[in-house]
Amino acid sequence: MSGKSKTSWLLVAPLLILVCVGFIIPIGYTLIKSIKNPEVTAALPRTTAALESWSFDGENAPPEAVFEALIADIEQGDRGRNYGSMTRRLNFEESGARSTMMKARRIADKIKAPYAVSLPQTVPEFGDGNIWQLIKQNSNPYTARYLLRAIDLRVTTDGSIVSVPADQAIFVDLFQRTFVISIWVTILCIVLGYPTAFWMSTLSDRAAGYVMLLVLIPFWTSILVRTTAWFILLQREGPINAALLGAGLVDEPLRMIFTRFAVYIAMVHVLLPFFILPLYGVMKRLGMEYVKAAASLGAPPWRQFVTVYLPLSMPGVAAGAVIVFMLSVGFYITPALVGGLQDQMVSYYIAFYANQTINLGMASSLAVLLLLFTAVTIAIVKKLLPETGRGIRA
Amino acid sequence: MKFGTRFTTAAIVAAGLSATAFLPNSADARDLTIVGFGGGYQDSAREHLFEPFEASSGIAVSDDVYNGEMAKVYGMVEAGDVTYDIIMVEAPELVRGCEDGVFAPLDYSVIDKTKFIETAVHECGVGAAGWGVVVFYDKARHAEGPTNLQEFWDTEKFPGKRSLRTGPKITLEVALMADGVAAADVYDVLSTPEGVDRAFAKLDEIKDDIVWWKSGAQPLQFVGSGEVDYAFGYTGRIIRAMGEGADYDMNWNTLFYSVDYWAAVEGSPMAEQAMQMIDYITDAGPLKNQTDVWPSSPANKEINMDPEIQAKNPGMVLNHSDTGLFLNTEFWIANGDDLEARFTSWAAQ
Repeated sequence: MSGKSKTSWLLVAPLLILVCVGFIIPIGYTLIKSIKNPEVTAALPRTTAALESWSFDGENAPPEAVFEALIADIEQGDRGRNYGSMTRRLNFEESGARSTMMKARRIADKIKAPYAVSLPQTVPEFGDGNIWQLIKQNSNPYTARYLLRAIDLRVTTDGSIVSVPADQAIFVDLFQRTFVISIWVTILCIVLGYPTAFWMSTLSDRAAGYVMLLVLIPFWTSILVRTTAWFILLQREGPINAALLGAGLVDEPLRMIFTRFAVYIAMVHVLLPFFILPLYGVMKRLGMEYVKAAASLGAPPWRQFVTVYLPLSMPGVAAGAVIVFMLSVGFYITPALVGGLQDQMVSYYIAFYANQTINLGMASSLAVLLLLFTAVTIAIVKKLLPETGRGIRA
Repeated sequence: MKFGTRFTTAAIVAAGLSATAFLPNSADARDLTIVGFGGGYQDSAREHLFEPFEASSGIAVSDDVYNGEMAKVYGMVEAGDVTYDIIMVEAPELVRGCEDGVFAPLDYSVIDKTKFIETAVHECGVGAAGWGVVVFYDKARHAEGPTNLQEFWDTEKFPGKRSLRTGPKITLEVALMADGVAAADVYDVLSTPEGVDRAFAKLDEIKDDIVWWKSGAQPLQFVGSGEVDYAFGYTGRIIRAMGEGADYDMNWNTLFYSVDYWAAVEGSPMAEQAMQMIDYITDAGPLKNQTDVWPSSPANKEINMDPEIQAKNPGMVLNHSDTGLFLNTEFWIANGDDLEARFTSWAAQ
């Protein structure tokens, strides 16, 4: 390695390390966590080994050797941490599995061999093959079950993949809702941000500086503060309702907080600078020569805009829209504060699974799918707007 | 060259120093840490339970607040870096955490078991205080409001927003009782699929009028600001707000209650001190001082039965068992996961 390339490597090293530590490793970890399945084997190593030679006939429990293995696993286990994770894992697949497994642990030291007789006498579930099949099915080191559940599918004891019951289905709707909200927020940002950026680009440098300040000041304020401010403004006895009532425009206060409307307003407010700034940068550099040329060739104003100015400014629109869209897809705190339970997006459930129910597999799966769907959406948008890339080089 | 060596030494020392900054604090470097749900209860506990313990034992104590999410506790126990020593938990979380090895068995040679009310002693936890939710509303805004669960559901007679605690626990019991199920039958009905459907069908009736709350401070903010008309809130916080001048009406026959526990986190490097503290903060003496400033309902027999305290403090939930529904811990351990999933799906639609 020459001294020069060594130096250049040294120069990029901090960036490489940052990308690895802050980006590749966490995403890789999340990806792996979404398919990792160590809980059952860790708590029941003997049982899962003994179950390998057993196959479920749809009815009968396995032979005595497997029962002995289970009792040995319970007696040799630690004070419950592995066992607890295992029961949570099984209960996620089949509700009731936790209490069955806990009952087995409570009586394990009180019953005598043959366990194939004595265990089902106290915990009848073990006399049936289903709980054993559940253990066997979930003893692989990797599983697709979390990812399947994240699109409302589950695996039955005979191994087929079916939809979860309608009253438990949630995630397909949730992803749809997340994308619909994000697309609307992006559209609203375009509608509000485009004229603003254009107007700013026509101002003198001094005036543009002041307007820029107006755009940037909210940008510097924390999201939490801005969202809470919207909460106060939008509440039933807040200033907006007071003004509307005072002006006689409405008879009773409008319901604004805890609605989709509030989510849109607060999100657009938070994200608008992310759209205006890149677009303003593009428009500022654009210059009006091409528009003037179009005018001199006789194009009416609307035509100057549609055929000349709009395509030239498109890279700024695309950049801003992509940033706004990607940020809104991952929004959490704003919908959580000003929206109702019907307005929550995927991130809310990622937090719910990570903090509340301690199901990191599910949280990771939702995160992985969100990443995937977002990447696909961006790829599609890029395909649909190929000419914008060429349009910029004027 | 000399400069080079010195520079290297300095760099190594600096690296060593900054590395120690990232290491977890060693065991005796930190305070004994007790964690609760915050609010006025914890303020009064800090003053009358935690600080007196600190003074009498010489063990430095600090307290922290959480919202009942168990993930952090499970995470710290699994990672072996336990920074919470004592934590206040609801009953189902206590039993599950004990089964999962996240809470340590208590040392009953240090903690005196006999002082607790019946049912408030568990392998991994002892009763801290009773808690409950009741319906309340602001009389300054509404001259009349719902006095029972049927009226809470009656949006014709009492139009307006309602607020309930997010999650299936309490919500489903409330729905069934509003639908006419007797308190004694609630869990029998809820144990059947038809009963669960019935509860959700009842909730559908007022779904559009419900604002869900998560932390105990929210229902008081909602009712106080007029955002919500009628809400379930924690009794202690409501009584405290009334004591501070709010003109609220609350109805004890809409009470749903349970007991919160003190549990010791497994793997705590200060387990011994934690046992001492748990024993101290459940003693009648300190608790009596706390009841002077907060309408708490300690799970201590002597306090709970003391006629003087009862007279002074009519808001002790454990003395309202005749009108309230005691939340069934066993039921929620067995069915919590399932109903949580169903509730989440229902609420999101």
